[in-house]
Amino acid sequence: MRDFIIRRLLYAIPTLVGISIITFLIARLSPGDPIRLFTFGIKDFTQEDYLRLLHAYGLDKPIPLQYVDWITNALRGSFGESLIYHRDAFAMLVERVPATLQLAVAALLLQLVIGVPLGVIAALKRGSWVDGAIRVFGVAGHAVPAFWLGLILIIVFAVQLRWLPSIGLLTVGHDQWDIPDRIRHIILPAFVLALTGIANYSRILRTETLDVLAQDFVRTAHAKGLHERTVVFVHALRNALIPVVTALGGILAALVGGALVIEQVFSWPGVGQFTFQAAIAKDYPIVQAGVMFTSTLLVVSYLVRDLAYAVVDPRIKVG
Amino acid sequence: MATTAATARVVPVAVLSRPSRSLWNNALYKLRRDKLTIGALFVLVILAALSLAAPLFSEYVFHYKFEQQDLLHTYEKPQLDNIAYLLGSDEIGRSQVVRLLYGGQISLFVGFTAAFFNLTVGVALGLGAGYFRGVLDDILTWVITTLNGIPQIYLLLIIAALWRPGPFTLVVIIGLLNWTGISLYVRGQTFALREREFITAARTIGARDRRIMFRHILPNVLPLIFVLAAIDVGAIILLESALSFLGLGILPPTPTWGNLLTNAVSYFVRAWWLVVSPGAMIFLTVLCLYLIGDGLRDALDPRLKTH
Amino acid sequence: MTHFRTTRTFFVVAAAALLVATACTPGPAASSPTPTPAESAKPQQGGKIIQGDISDIATIQPILSADTSSSRIINLIYDGIIQQDYKNGEPKAKMATYSISPDGLNYTFEINAKANWSDGKPVIAQDWLTGLKLVGKSQKTVRKSSFQDVQGFLDYCVGSSSSGCKGTAKEISGVKIDSANPKKFTVTLTKVSCPAIIDLNGYTLPTQVFGKYATDTSKDEIDTAPENTNPTVFSGPFKFSEWRKGDQIILNKNPDYWQGAPNVDQYVVKVVANQTAIANGLKTGELTYGSIQPKDLADMQTVDSVKITKYQNLGYTFISWNELAPTAPALADKRVRQALAYGLDMDQVIKAVVFGEATKQVAHHVPVQWAYPTSPLEPYKYDKAKAQQLLTDAGWVKGSDGILAKDGKKFTLTISTNSGNQERETLAQVAAEQYKQLGIDTKAAPEAFQGLVTKLTTGDPVIEANIIGWSLGGDVDPYQIWHSSQIPDRAKGTTGFGFTGFKDAAMDKAIEQGRNPTNGDCSTAARKAQYETFNKILNENQPYNFGYANNVLVGSQKTLQNFDPASFSQIWNVHTWWIKQ
Repeated sequence: MRDFIIRRLLYAIPTLVGISIITFLIARLSPGDPIRLFTFGIKDFTQEDYLRLLHAYGLDKPIPLQYVDWITNALRGSFGESLIYHRDAFAMLVERVPATLQLAVAALLLQLVIGVPLGVIAALKRGSWVDGAIRVFGVAGHAVPAFWLGLILIIVFAVQLRWLPSIGLLTVGHDQWDIPDRIRHIILPAFVLALTGIANYSRILRTETLDVLAQDFVRTAHAKGLHERTVVFVHALRNALIPVVTALGGILAALVGGALVIEQVFSWPGVGQFTFQAAIAKDYPIVQAGVMFTSTLLVVSYLVRDLAYAVVDPRIKVG
Repeated sequence: MATTAATARVVPVAVLSRPSRSLWNNALYKLRRDKLTIGALFVLVILAALSLAAPLFSEYVFHYKFEQQDLLHTYEKPQLDNIAYLLGSDEIGRSQVVRLLYGGQISLFVGFTAAFFNLTVGVALGLGAGYFRGVLDDILTWVITTLNGIPQIYLLLIIAALWRPGPFTLVVIIGLLNWTGISLYVRGQTFALREREFITAARTIGARDRRIMFRHILPNVLPLIFVLAAIDVGAIILLESALSFLGLGILPPTPTWGNLLTNAVSYFVRAWWLVVSPGAMIFLTVLCLYLIGDGLRDALDPRLKTH
Repeated sequence: MTHFRTTRTFFVVAAAALLVATACTPGPAASSPTPTPAESAKPQQGGKIIQGDISDIATIQPILSADTSSSRIINLIYDGIIQQDYKNGEPKAKMATYSISPDGLNYTFEINAKANWSDGKPVIAQDWLTGLKLVGKSQKTVRKSSFQDVQGFLDYCVGSSSSGCKGTAKEISGVKIDSANPKKFTVTLTKVSCPAIIDLNGYTLPTQVFGKYATDTSKDEIDTAPENTNPTVFSGPFKFSEWRKGDQIILNKNPDYWQGAPNVDQYVVKVVANQTAIANGLKTGELTYGSIQPKDLADMQTVDSVKITKYQNLGYTFISWNELAPTAPALADKRVRQALAYGLDMDQVIKAVVFGEATKQVAHHVPVQWAYPTSPLEPYKYDKAKAQQLLTDAGWVKGSDGILAKDGKKFTLTISTNSGNQERETLAQVAAEQYKQLGIDTKAAPEAFQGLVTKLTTGDPVIEANIIGWSLGGDVDPYQIWHSSQIPDRAKGTTGFGFTGFKDAAMDKAIEQGRNPTNGDCSTAARKAQYETFNKILNENQPYNFGYANNVLVGSQKTLQNFDPASFSQIWNVHTWWIKQ
């Protein structure tokens, strides 16, 4: 077991190196020039000013040298300074993490709270119109373009009905700890983000519950006269939750990355939106830090998931 | 001891049995009965036909070109008086319905072409790695885990924001990013298959590797690839529309369902109907593709329990 | 298998229901009428001003600021020694009065006795000098060139050798502080420069905080100073309180402000995703004021609680013609460019693109600037026949396919613009359609701003026509855009904003005389004469289709009193604003 863990950890290293190379290259080799971007139209900005800034930001060195500089600094924990904000890129990124994390966790909760019961109900009411509707939703939930759904919900709930706000985390001037206000702000984006997960879970849970229901121990429980609900919740769910739990790791990290589009639509000040705006402005240090951060998170979560799998399911070969 | 040849008289008994079917025949049999998948296929073909015939529709039915503007008739509500404004007109008087049809061309083109790229790369690499194993497999696995280590949409959006590719480059980029799932699947199947007797037999009689891969392994892997393909096309259409919506990817005046929504967002106070149609088209198309994929999987997977 | 089929057919109904549901959204919720507060003379105290902005600030350090969002906050916490009149842009006193010597080389400033820092210390000349020294020492500032005419600045400043900075001197020789009066100082220039007075506003920073970065031994520590994002001493109406990154910046009122404490308690800038969010914020009352887009104007006017103020933008959106593009040789001919002005129905374009909220431009300066020509210019009223005639005169004749051709070559035109800017994308598409009617095979081609900017400033010949806008703050001097020295030269490797390639000797002379007059006369009258000539030449030659100068629309809650924004400043009197409770 220990060997397995060590092997997996070691294997993660070349992956992270590969990711760092890809990240660096896609940023630095892209066409266009960040300095020209943020100085366009500034009065009295001369060619000399431009060359001076190029040198000040270290952008005039050859690419491989820039990579070496970057990676050696990164290993020491510094991802460089934002070209536009003149502050530590990683620190700026970390400031945004709580917002995205809140969104991801809220989405995860919604997925579990809505998806799991839907699947179980579909299995229990197999054959009825309820089952049908839920199964329809199971497929349709994946086919809806997230950004479109977000827009429709904004139009309906924020603009027409005025029930919910459409922008940001918190109403201006409200206290940071105003929980009801924060909940009102997080509902729509979390729901849109959770949609595919809800659809997934409802399908998984339906299949798993049906499997469990067909098994002998359930029939025995029935024969013993136990209430169906007890049977289901005590036995079926426990088994059915195994794939849910092991999928959590990958899902959390995927949420962080996939939340980008939703953060844009709802102007949610998260990591994804921040990295994306930085990419548009060609602020290399932030883009690189952002991609490395999200990727490391994902790689770590896959590691944890694999390890959890190995622990939970003894059938899986570990050697 | 008398060897009583207890001749078991074999009485030929007429046994009712179904003729054995190949995987494909079985699949077709099941599919013909799956009205839903047939329906989805039907709808998809109609959508594709409508999009391909967009120029014809524009010319003969609506009498309005897709780039044609009319600054005096902006934000028209959907109406029947002017057939060109069946779904309304946008901020410079262009016909929403005509642009929607043309948009289908792009979305479907990007979807199918990029999926084709994905499949080609994924199958080729998966077959190669699974069959040859060794260093090739190690390298491939490293590349796959590296690519999978960066969230797909995220990576694509960052690349698109930094590089601003044109439509063809975009197809190639999506094609190069989405193949990992397919190749992992093909690799797994190839692993399993290559240990089977019929492969060993083929090798014994001296068949070349390439022949083995393409004539023996591939056909067994192929059926479920179609399932992955259908779902892949759907996923790519969603991806492309998200990209155009964000102003990356394909830019106006070329209409795509995604960039029809970019504009519509700003104008939804004046003309909310402009937001509904493009998204509905994306939803419908992707839904059909996913249902077809689901249906194919139900039909092709012999292990599937018939719940 | 049976239920498998029947239940799943529900999807048709469900999907249809989903579509119908989204199509049948209820009508707009009726907004309850808010009674308009009656004008009362005495300002009430308290309340918050919450402004919406679409980007977060980058820094709170004036010498490093290069974007409007940061500048706004900086202007609220640090006052300048001079200001521009909020309506016509003429320079006048703020924290200091000034006088210019007859030879135009010496500027004497005297800071108001009342001007002080929030920690009690007075604002003195040394504070202005500290700001200038920091510009000299910083590596990341974009403002060095603004001060190159100050005597001794180039000797003092540090930078790469090609920038002209020598870094040899320990002091800036051209700045002399009066020994008797620490609030008085003189700045000497190396040559007469009319725009200089605006640049000489400089940066007045508290020496007690920033002085340590401007000592003889300091290098470029100012670029990473923590006080750049967490300032502690202020001279403006507000004091910095908190910066919640990506979300909002909170400023508290400065009770010791030298012009009198503001009436409101806080000024908050809230970062929102886009213009639509600002419009929504105004409707719900979450935002006190913010800019509105023309497309939201009609909707905003129905909201009782919001007041709309209009003023002309200090800038214009235009289509530039690249005379040096090899693929569009027609653009080198003046008649073709005039045809392109007559051939675009700008009134219709303005109605479609900005809902009528703009004024057509036919020369460089905008009406709100004092340099705007008073003598009549050719208005280039839409005249398709005239445009067609000019094109024929220039030798372009319609072929059998309806497209103009000359010497066997067709007239094709690509109009680029930056993607993501709806107004410009729409303008590109509308212009393309109208020019097609003239027989020009035009297409609109939006592309990413990053690539476009590089192509424009390096003079990439692939750009034929381009839609972009100028923001004309500060002095009226058009040197940076129109002088022939600013035309990028690929052979020499120089860059600049003169990407049309247009040059005219008489125009150059007018620009030079308006900027560094040989007779030293920087009076408005003398300069205006030069700009009359300048604008006339542009008007006739049409190196741009000068497009339009749009109106800025600002929505504000009716409860906000004394709010009086204009072209040159929105916040010039922010300390007198008050909120009717």
